[in-house]
Amino acid sequence: MTLEQASKGSRVRVLKRASGHRFASSLDGMGIHVGDELLVVGYAPFHGPILVEIPSSGVRVALGRGMAEKLHVEPVEA
Amino acid sequence: MDRAREDAGLPVIALAGQPNCGKSTLFNALAGFKADTGNFPGSTVSYTSSEVVADGRRARIIDLPGTYSISPHDAAERVTRDYLLSGKADVLVAVVDASILARSIELTLQLLEMGVPMVLALNMLDEAERKGIDVDVGRLEKRLGIPVVPTIAIRGKGVVSVVSRTLDMADRPSLGTPPIYDRDVEETVRGILDRMPGGLADGIGAPERFVALRLLEGDPVIEEVAGNADPEFLRFALDERKRLAVLHDWPEETTLSSHRHAVAMDLFEAVARVVPRRKMTLRDRLDGVVMHPVLGLGVAGAAIASLFLVAFLFGDLLAGVVSAPFESLLEVLSPRASESFIWAMLRGFVEGVAGGVGIVLPYLLPLLFMMSLYEDVGYLPRAAYMVDGALHRIGLHGKSVIPLILGYGCNVPAIMGTRILETPRDRILTSLLVPLIPCSARTVVILALVAALLGPLYALGVYALNIVVAAVAGRILSSMVKGSQAGLLMDVPPYRVPPLRSVLKKVWFRTYEFLVAAWPILIVASVIMGILEYVGINNWMNAVLRPLTVGLLGLPEAVGVTLFFGVLRKELSLILLFQALGTDDVAAVMSPAQILGFSLFVTFYVPCVATIATLVREVGWRWAGVSTALNTGIALAAAFFVRVFW
Repeated sequence: MTLEQASKGSRVRVLKRASGHRFASSLDGMGIHVGDELLVVGYAPFHGPILVEIPSSGVRVALGRGMAEKLHVEPVEA
Repeated sequence: MDRAREDAGLPVIALAGQPNCGKSTLFNALAGFKADTGNFPGSTVSYTSSEVVADGRRARIIDLPGTYSISPHDAAERVTRDYLLSGKADVLVAVVDASILARSIELTLQLLEMGVPMVLALNMLDEAERKGIDVDVGRLEKRLGIPVVPTIAIRGKGVVSVVSRTLDMADRPSLGTPPIYDRDVEETVRGILDRMPGGLADGIGAPERFVALRLLEGDPVIEEVAGNADPEFLRFALDERKRLAVLHDWPEETTLSSHRHAVAMDLFEAVARVVPRRKMTLRDRLDGVVMHPVLGLGVAGAAIASLFLVAFLFGDLLAGVVSAPFESLLEVLSPRASESFIWAMLRGFVEGVAGGVGIVLPYLLPLLFMMSLYEDVGYLPRAAYMVDGALHRIGLHGKSVIPLILGYGCNVPAIMGTRILETPRDRILTSLLVPLIPCSARTVVILALVAALLGPLYALGVYALNIVVAAVAGRILSSMVKGSQAGLLMDVPPYRVPPLRSVLKKVWFRTYEFLVAAWPILIVASVIMGILEYVGINNWMNAVLRPLTVGLLGLPEAVGVTLFFGVLRKELSLILLFQALGTDDVAAVMSPAQILGFSLFVTFYVPCVATIATLVREVGWRWAGVSTALNTGIALAAAFFVRVFW
């Protein structure tokens, strides 16, 4: 599944990022790598961005839906 | 003075780091207050430079825009990278937010590869401590091979030591220890280095190893340069990249970055001890409300409304106190203004002085204070998050909201702030919308006329109408401006309680700009207005504008000349209005409908000259023309609407 489909409050692990140098390097800059765990904190209104936290660093990042669709994840059992 | 000659021989120190790492704060601590800071990504869009003296030694320091990586994907990032590759910097100070050290190390490693002598400023150590991160500075120095200076820039801690260690480095330059990757990567790099055409790296301004690594990373700019130099070599490098990716079973564009991530994590684990504290933090609780899909919208509405209400309440109070003595002075001067040229000029002069300190400043100060507070607390990225969805509906980017909000302060830096947007389309669209946002000058007009004379609710109505108009304009424009729209990927920084001193400094910084750049214009224009009135040219100008002012908008004929001057500075329309009407009791000579119509017209019509000039520079003549036409068209429609339907 993609990050876009992950539900609020769930933990997921990044499996694959869609291709593209630009996308990859932006995600690297934000600290989102393949294998990283993400906590889905919430959603903005009007089909807005998804707020995720990288639990290992506490960094919070907002990803638009289009971006979230390009991030393949799997659920992590708590 | 010939600055270049004066500077000759001064060591040049460049500050670089991720957005929001406290780079500009460090710069300001070093340079006095010269750079505009803020708690949102991309507050520094072009670079600021200043001379510093520390330990009796002088240097020039450059504050570069924040970058997440050295892959140049937006205009601000390109500024930083080009500067570092230009070879102008003697020493690079990499500023790192210690509270997110694991992430920051990756950029540090990339910077090390650029081959510029470097010092690391380990900033925000207090925040790191609160998060339970304990950094072994000695070990970090050893691993990176460069001096590491712990700092808390916002409180001025460690700042002097950054300068002295940096100047030591300038005297005896040495390069740090760039990361060594996995054996396969290193072999591939060696292979590429063997085939690299001579002069390629020198042309780029970086070590050969850097060029080889960027090619492995898939850097589009370096690829182009390499391809122009030697297409055969580029093909070889790209084949090697593919081979490496297949070998490691990674996607091609992330092979190297994954290795770098591994090196960074390894380094982080070696130098930092983390005592995890997993409890509900204040940020989590605040974000639970501020970024809540429903409550957050209420917060956003309340934030905007309170911005103007606070500005109005304090401004109204201050204006009453400050302008009283000027009023009695003008009562004496006004009757004599028609007697002689000198009296006319003197009256104009006093009007200009009084307008600046008695009307503009009282509203401007609280507004700037509130804006600075919002910026430093970290609200802007959260506002962007809340409205991104809605903005996408009208074809805009969520990040556009940051320049748009900055526009309430001044349109000029707001238009420059559109550089944080990735695609030209988003930049043009946002630049066209910024001039529709009432800047502090126009807010002064709205507060002093609409809020003070018709009531604060009317003023809020003007702001609400303004947002609706901007949204509709955005929707229409976005269907006209072609190009791709980037998705949102945005850092949401922690909340910070800015020291009052730093907020006040920022308010002073912006007030000072008003005092030296705008106030003299207000005074000179008022004097000219006094002369025009004395000679009678104002009547002629009013007559020319009569079809517009009286005919179309139903305003008093005397306002014509104020609109003419308002193009210089929007506050001028207000100050000259008092002068033109011969009274500051506007309500006595203009009806409520006229007051509202005039205010709306001033709010929307032709952007001021500084804004137009900035538009020309940032998006070109054509779009600046479109913006001017758009603004004026909306102004005419809005004011006409008031006239017809009031």
